[in-house]
Amino acid sequence: MTGEDVIILLPLVIVAAAAVAAMLAIAVRRSHAATAGIALTGLAAALAEVLVNLWLKKGYVGHLAVMDNQALFVIGLVLAANLVVGILSYGYLSRRRERAEEYYVLLLLAALGGMVLAISIHFATFFLGLEVLSVSLYGLVAYERGRLGVEASLKYLVLGGTASAFVFFGMGLVYFDRGSMIFFWVDWLYGQYGPGPLGLVAMVGCVMMFVGIGFKLAVVPFHLWTADVYQGAPAPVTALVATVSKGAVLALVLRMARGSPWAGYYFGDRAVYYSGGVCPSAPVFWILAAIAVASMFTGNLLALRQRNVKRLLAYSSISHLGYLLVAVLVSGAAGATAAGFYLVTYFAATLAAFGVVTALSGANGEAESLEDYRGLAWRRPALAALMTVAMLSLAGIPLTAGFVGKFYLLTAGAGAGLWALVIILVANSGIGLFYYLRVVWAMFERRATEEKELPRIGVATGVVLAGLGAAVVLIGVWPGPLAELVRAWMGGGW
Amino acid sequence: MNSVSPESGLVVAAVLFALGLGGVLARRNMLFVLMSIEIMLNAAALAMITAGARHHAADGQVMFMFILATAAAEVAVGLAIVLLIYRRRRTLDVDEAREMRG
Repeated sequence: MTGEDVIILLPLVIVAAAAVAAMLAIAVRRSHAATAGIALTGLAAALAEVLVNLWLKKGYVGHLAVMDNQALFVIGLVLAANLVVGILSYGYLSRRRERAEEYYVLLLLAALGGMVLAISIHFATFFLGLEVLSVSLYGLVAYERGRLGVEASLKYLVLGGTASAFVFFGMGLVYFDRGSMIFFWVDWLYGQYGPGPLGLVAMVGCVMMFVGIGFKLAVVPFHLWTADVYQGAPAPVTALVATVSKGAVLALVLRMARGSPWAGYYFGDRAVYYSGGVCPSAPVFWILAAIAVASMFTGNLLALRQRNVKRLLAYSSISHLGYLLVAVLVSGAAGATAAGFYLVTYFAATLAAFGVVTALSGANGEAESLEDYRGLAWRRPALAALMTVAMLSLAGIPLTAGFVGKFYLLTAGAGAGLWALVIILVANSGIGLFYYLRVVWAMFERRATEEKELPRIGVATGVVLAGLGAAVVLIGVWPGPLAELVRAWMGGGW
Repeated sequence: MNSVSPESGLVVAAVLFALGLGGVLARRNMLFVLMSIEIMLNAAALAMITAGARHHAADGQVMFMFILATAAAEVAVGLAIVLLIYRRRRTLDVDEAREMRG
């Protein structure tokens, strides 16, 4: 590893160093504020460094990783989400716990795992990123140590460990068949021999890899852990699971589906029929399409009967990942751009929604039941307004970010001729309206019952929440600049 | 020297993986579930080594080291969680962990 490589990987180095610094600081003196300060400074510094890196240094790091525009974009997204979660967590934890310092070490490691996934072009980095992210999330989910948190963590660990085993075994099989673990080199070999049918071993390997990835993305039929983990985990951690974990894995899938700089050469630049990357084959395309459709319907239909806001958001996230898979199937620059834009809108709205849940959660219990939100508009108008904006954005109502994100997904899907998927996506947006609006409805109802004491909101939390709300509205009203940015960064190249 | 074919190594790995998966699905004791996951991860590691042997490359063995290390990390966290659950409920039965439904 040369000095140049270190400069390329500087955002990751900063976050890793911050994790070590936080750990040492805990050993010297336990202070919630100091540890949180170290973690947030590290994340902010890495985020600033991403912007510097954009002009300073990009390139390949051996065969293992690449820092290109897409990687920088996803890293920026991961860091920003972690920063938001970190600030929300500070208020949340200081209301509830004496000792919360290790939380920030795990938070930094989760960010590191997501960043490794974002730069991965090799099975080894894919594997390491996935494990670093997953193992720190197991710890975070159980952090509150309540009955539900520990139970959720155990479920997440058993299913996540099984999923990891599937991914690694699949990697082994693909490597056995192809003799390479680099995404685009695997691809290049196909190109050399023509994108013919996969051998049986590689085919099984691809399916096993997608089983494991499906677990991480929580798409049907691998979604069974989602609702329990969302409910049992502390609210800020749930936000992390919903955004960083899924976003980073999706970015990796995009890279795998995209294959290589050479993929365009072999499969044509606007790859209508899923260029496939690591796993180019018609069956893989159809399996992914079936998973997308099943996720949209299952997520939306199961969300209809939820009375717990965290579980409702869990099922809603399943359907959103279904929408995002449409972009993966479009593949190529168009698919990556649509997915990138949708990820930004999904991140902003989801973080805003969980931010409200976090802000309303006091020392005794979280505000997760729909009852807790009844009449919120009359008691905490600002929080209710933010939740409304987040729900409308997730539902995809015009003038919010979610609408523009869906618009890009639909355009990309239509451009690639995936009409059936586009129609199903539109139909599912209609179903989604019902349960999102039910939350909004509950908040604006007049409340007759006795009122519970609501926790105070710190300045930092307030600023972050206001920023998220403003972002959701601003992207919805004036999407041009962000669209340009995403096109330039996710569209491929340097 | 090359009396064992890579394919037969792959078959052993597949059998191991199936055993582990069966354990995760059928076992009710949390410790055995964790052990079954470990078996699955080791099966994956064996597949990696077999693949490396087939292509006469060290990559498979490097991956084996990675899998070994991370599997240990995963099980360490898993045991901590199992310990928490045992302290609270005095049982290791996975079916007891079902307070959340729907």
